[in-house]
Amino acid sequence: MSGPPSLPFGAPAGRAPTREVVTVSELTNRIRGVLESTQGEVWVEGEIANSRLWKTGHLYFTLRDEHAQLRAVMFRSAVRYLRFTPEDGLRVVARGRVTVYERKGEYQIVCEQLQPQGVGALQVAFDQLKRTLEADGLFEASRKRPLPLLPRQIGVVTSLNGAALQDILKVLARRHPTAHVVICPVRVQGEGAAGQIARGIDQLSGQDGVDVIIVGRGGGSLDDLWAFNEEPVARAIATAAVPVISAVGHEIDMTISDMVADIRAATPSAAAEIVVTGRDDLLGRVAQLGDRLRATLRDAIRRLFTRVLELDRRPGLAGWPARLAIRGRHAAELTHALTRTARSTLTTRERRLRAAQLTLKAREPGRRLEASRTRLVVAGERLGATIVHRRQRLEGRLGDLTGRLEALSPLGVLARGYAVCWNADRTAIVRNASAVSVGDDVAITLRQGQLTCTVTSKD
Amino acid sequence: MENHITDFESAIAELETIVKTLEAGDLSLEQSLQLFERGVQLSRFCHTRLEDAERRIEILSQSGERTPAPETLTPSLEDGEV
Repeated sequence: MSGPPSLPFGAPAGRAPTREVVTVSELTNRIRGVLESTQGEVWVEGEIANSRLWKTGHLYFTLRDEHAQLRAVMFRSAVRYLRFTPEDGLRVVARGRVTVYERKGEYQIVCEQLQPQGVGALQVAFDQLKRTLEADGLFEASRKRPLPLLPRQIGVVTSLNGAALQDILKVLARRHPTAHVVICPVRVQGEGAAGQIARGIDQLSGQDGVDVIIVGRGGGSLDDLWAFNEEPVARAIATAAVPVISAVGHEIDMTISDMVADIRAATPSAAAEIVVTGRDDLLGRVAQLGDRLRATLRDAIRRLFTRVLELDRRPGLAGWPARLAIRGRHAAELTHALTRTARSTLTTRERRLRAAQLTLKAREPGRRLEASRTRLVVAGERLGATIVHRRQRLEGRLGDLTGRLEALSPLGVLARGYAVCWNADRTAIVRNASAVSVGDDVAITLRQGQLTCTVTSKD
Repeated sequence: MENHITDFESAIAELETIVKTLEAGDLSLEQSLQLFERGVQLSRFCHTRLEDAERRIEILSQSGERTPAPETLTPSLEDGEV
């Protein structure tokens, strides 16, 4: 058979195979179909690299081993169930579907689930959070605050239905019957528990009067206790305004909240034991301090009293002020009387002298002057002598009186029960019954006050 | 009163200091009396805080309201053996 040779460019020859031309999109779509139908869901093991969490919430990373690498994506809907952060270098097993990202012509695996290899996901998450918080200094011993001795109110963040709350309330009722408890009920496990616990701590920490917070729950599996290993709870404990006691599970369960809390209690019951010093102990302490306080005052007063008594008993001091006052007063009175008497006597004599001089002058016949002058001089001398004599007598009397006054010490005598009997006008002391007559009034001086009496008989 | 008493803890601490100072006894009568008076005040405060408190259990709602806890949450002392 002959024919024109087929030209490289011309109408398709009748027998030539049909050339199928497809678009990029169509081909990509075909490849995607092949991949998705043949591979389906796979489990693939590798190391995470170039991981990056986008603002949209989707996680992009690469899975690789020594010879190959695979692009991977995890959408936000799956990321939120991850309990650890997929960090570079972490070996994981990913479950997902292989698919093609048409826009970039790349195949990739869309992961539904990631599991750390070797250890459990929770353990990885625990270690990761622990590292972060440790770097932030949240476990530092210097951050731990002491508990108040007597909290006004005790905040409790836990489930309303759990055994933990019952245990706490029972212990408090026994150790501190007047405790004031404020409970903030929260879910302690499952979806949203961590957020509720964190909010509960914040809320109680802002309550006026709450001085300490217990946060916790009873024992359970690692999964059950998980909320207490989550970052929001740890941060809420760290930022609480008052000390926080963490009491999660049993003795062996150590959670992140236990590490951040100011005090870790092995169990909820133990937390209640720790949170208050026994009320009876405190009452005893206060009573004892009160007793000691009163004893110190009693001692102080007793010491002072003793000292005053001692001073008072010294012979030099006893009775002095009173004695001085009495003598001083009497001396002053006597001096005054003396002066007055002397002055009036002198005045009288002077007046008489002047009168005599006038008479003399009137009668003066020159020649009798001499004789009269002589008489005047004599009279003057006598007058002077009289005054001196009188003065001496008065002074003698003053001395006498002062001496007797001292001897008598009237206050002392009267204090012993003696009385002094005066004549009616109080000018003389009656020493002899003969000095008064029946019917006369006499005055009696007692230690306190005066009496006026009438003599009714005499012996 | 110039010094306000804020909390039980500082009250009992101050009381302890006062008692020790008074027991040392090197003070004038005026100083002693002043300290004694303050001591009595502190001791009374501590007593009041211990004696006058009333057992109370409250529930704090999300809106911040407090309501008394139900009966089931108020164990009596009889079944209080833990």
